[in-house]
Amino acid sequence: MDLNRLETARLFHRFGFGPRPGEFASAISVGVAATREKLFQNPGTDRGLLRVSEPVITDLGQRPSPSDPNLAAFTTELRRQNIELITWWLDCMVLADFSLQERATWFWHGHWATSIKKLNYALPMYKQNQTLQKYALGNFDEMVSAMLDDGALQFWLDGQENTAKSPNENLARELMELFTLGVGRYSETDVKELSRALTGIQVARSNGNITFRKTRFDNGTKSILGVSQNFDRKSAGKLLVSQPNSKRFIAERVWFRYMSSQYPLPANSKIESAFEGREIRDLLLALASSEAMRDAQYELVKAPVEWFVAVCRALNITPSKLNKNSALLNFLNKLAQVPFDPPNVGGWPTDDAWLSSASAQFRASFATWLVAQGDMSPIENSKTGERIQKIADLLGVVEWSARTKSVLEGNVKSPKLLVMLAICSPEYLVSA
Amino acid sequence: MDTVTRRKFLQLTAGTSIGAAAALLSIEEIAAAASARPLASGTPILVIVTLYGGNDGLNTVIPFKDPIYYSSRPDISYKQESILQLDSQYGLNPSMAGISNLWKNGKVAIVRGAGYPSPDRSHFSSMAKWQSGSPITNSKSGWIGRWIDSQPDDPMLAISLGSVLPPLLAGEKKVGSALPLGGLVIPKGTIGADFRKLSLPSTSDSKLRSLAANSMKDLFNISETITPILQRPEPKDIELPTVNGGNAGGDSNLSQQLNIVSKLIQADAPTRVWSVSLGGFDTHANEANAQAILLGSVSSAIDKFMTDLKSSKHGSDVVVLVYSEFGRRVVGNASKGTDHGTSGPMFIIGDKVKGGFYGDQPSLSKLVDGDLSVTTDFRDVYATLIEDVLKSPADKYLSNWKGRTKFIKAG
Repeated sequence: MDLNRLETARLFHRFGFGPRPGEFASAISVGVAATREKLFQNPGTDRGLLRVSEPVITDLGQRPSPSDPNLAAFTTELRRQNIELITWWLDCMVLADFSLQERATWFWHGHWATSIKKLNYALPMYKQNQTLQKYALGNFDEMVSAMLDDGALQFWLDGQENTAKSPNENLARELMELFTLGVGRYSETDVKELSRALTGIQVARSNGNITFRKTRFDNGTKSILGVSQNFDRKSAGKLLVSQPNSKRFIAERVWFRYMSSQYPLPANSKIESAFEGREIRDLLLALASSEAMRDAQYELVKAPVEWFVAVCRALNITPSKLNKNSALLNFLNKLAQVPFDPPNVGGWPTDDAWLSSASAQFRASFATWLVAQGDMSPIENSKTGERIQKIADLLGVVEWSARTKSVLEGNVKSPKLLVMLAICSPEYLVSA
Repeated sequence: MDTVTRRKFLQLTAGTSIGAAAALLSIEEIAAAASARPLASGTPILVIVTLYGGNDGLNTVIPFKDPIYYSSRPDISYKQESILQLDSQYGLNPSMAGISNLWKNGKVAIVRGAGYPSPDRSHFSSMAKWQSGSPITNSKSGWIGRWIDSQPDDPMLAISLGSVLPPLLAGEKKVGSALPLGGLVIPKGTIGADFRKLSLPSTSDSKLRSLAANSMKDLFNISETITPILQRPEPKDIELPTVNGGNAGGDSNLSQQLNIVSKLIQADAPTRVWSVSLGGFDTHANEANAQAILLGSVSSAIDKFMTDLKSSKHGSDVVVLVYSEFGRRVVGNASKGTDHGTSGPMFIIGDKVKGGFYGDQPSLSKLVDGDLSVTTDFRDVYATLIEDVLKSPADKYLSNWKGRTKFIKAG
């Protein structure tokens, strides 16, 4: 295997959402170091994102009563906003120039996995997405602080039910288990005490605004992870992030989604120590610069959204312009991954969970639909004898197996079929 | 609310969507298994219909002779003349003609007042109790899941329609399979042959690449004997109402789910338990019309299902169970709906069933905290189904639960 191609492909597919036409071949010619540098270079203004129009998402207020004649209009608008939110974010993923940031936002969405199924409204989810965008490559301590003020997360994990009189442990438990420390790195007493520190929040569901109510707040001393003081959500969040276990845990989670969910993060790795200052960009850069990048055992299956967005980037497709939105959502739904709708607070599964024969059928069907609407010119404009190599570069595939090569060779004269088979091939579905 | 329970429900869901054993099946895989090892005629089959959201039992099996029924919910009660009478005191919701006919033929058992001790009014917690079959200790596994644990490995043994596996099919060690529905356009002809070639093993394949290749293997492998059955037209799905709280789970296309189950049963699929669902029963507001449409859909889908199977060799083997996570409050609320309540009726339907009422109707004059009392523990029903339909010892899966409700014919 050509390790430079491997490392380049991983930079594109794991730290971004796959190459656009021409990008992979130029990256190979400038080399891995320059490619990585460009990937991590924040352009300041993202010209690609300027092409995405802001979604029209408003505060729809309380649901009208059943006898209210406005109910039908409300329901229609709610649905329209939910669909617009999803297609807007998919457009961002496809059109962004600074892919590192979009990809990190996607990672953090799966990390703080909040579902619109419970919120119902698009606005609080949109606001959460903006918070995740803002801190995706920033400081984790600041991110935790901002997320504890996030109305969607608070509502999702029953923060508004958590009061001094009647504590609700849902958010406290997930905050330690899934968001900052990892399972087994705290006690049941810590969960109870932390939930006391998080009390006092009320959420307006339709817009995600939170209010702190002193009367609902538990104003006593709490003992969390061996430290006793009158913690509130801010100071408790800081305490969690300052734990060595949070450095370990976030490094593990980034490794799990970016590098391998089959092999654990090696102990005492440089990747972990790079997160000492809790700077997320430092952690990602350490991972992208590590020896693991050239180790072929660390393969990953592209999750359905990652596969779809990468296909769109290669074929110059804008998701919101596909004909039509409902069909797109149906395909994503069948493949069991719709943005803003993770299956549970643990986020989406990985690897073999995406490889059932049912999903192979839906993917084949999805691919046929996408290819019909995609731009085939990079293939059409190349000679048939060069198309097998051309399509590997277009898609950012390291190498074709003899099996796949022979299937593709039989279809070099038909660009659409060639692309359809290539994007369904095991070599594309799995990020080598 | 008991957050620990809600959390367990989430874990249960998480545990089933991750991990090697949680297989998503395709119709072709089931069809292939059906032709390779057809289910012997006479083997009982259990079909579980879960109604998500909390079905209002009092407007399902209606006590039309009880004046308290009418005084408690003047806006949403049904007049005696519109009700489909079951006996001199009780009748079905007017939309349930199909089940009413099955009742007249002696094929419907109705267990009244079904529930569990200390009812929980959270959708998640209560559904977790019903699906785990262990309302006191809140086991992480499902009652059918624990039965699956005891059976030989077979991904076809218990299948849920829809892409997400319900907790009821998750065991401690093994889980049932899921069959996602609808919307497939499978490439045909040469391109189909090319896809099959892509599924061949290659020496250079890594572990995940070979799994990816293998997943395409059965893509076009439809057995010729099965095809005609699967290709019969699907029924049109009726338009279902959008109601508050549709996020309590469940699918929306029960008739299509049961249609596929019926075809696969007719094709001799080696499957002992099927799970289907319908959501939308969380009728906090404007209940009457919404619930009637939903119950009408349940009734007609089950009636059609039983009719379709009648002529097949498995027609007498099928037992259908219908339940919901709780009933609703006796007194209607200010929005012409009802809030979360406690007990409700369970339906068991099939040729093997001894039709009639089981369990006492909870009294409307002796409410517990404004709610119906529980007169039959749902574990009585589960134990009977495990013993008399799945032909397994129930004690093992229900912590030695002793109660039984004898609604299955002897022999």
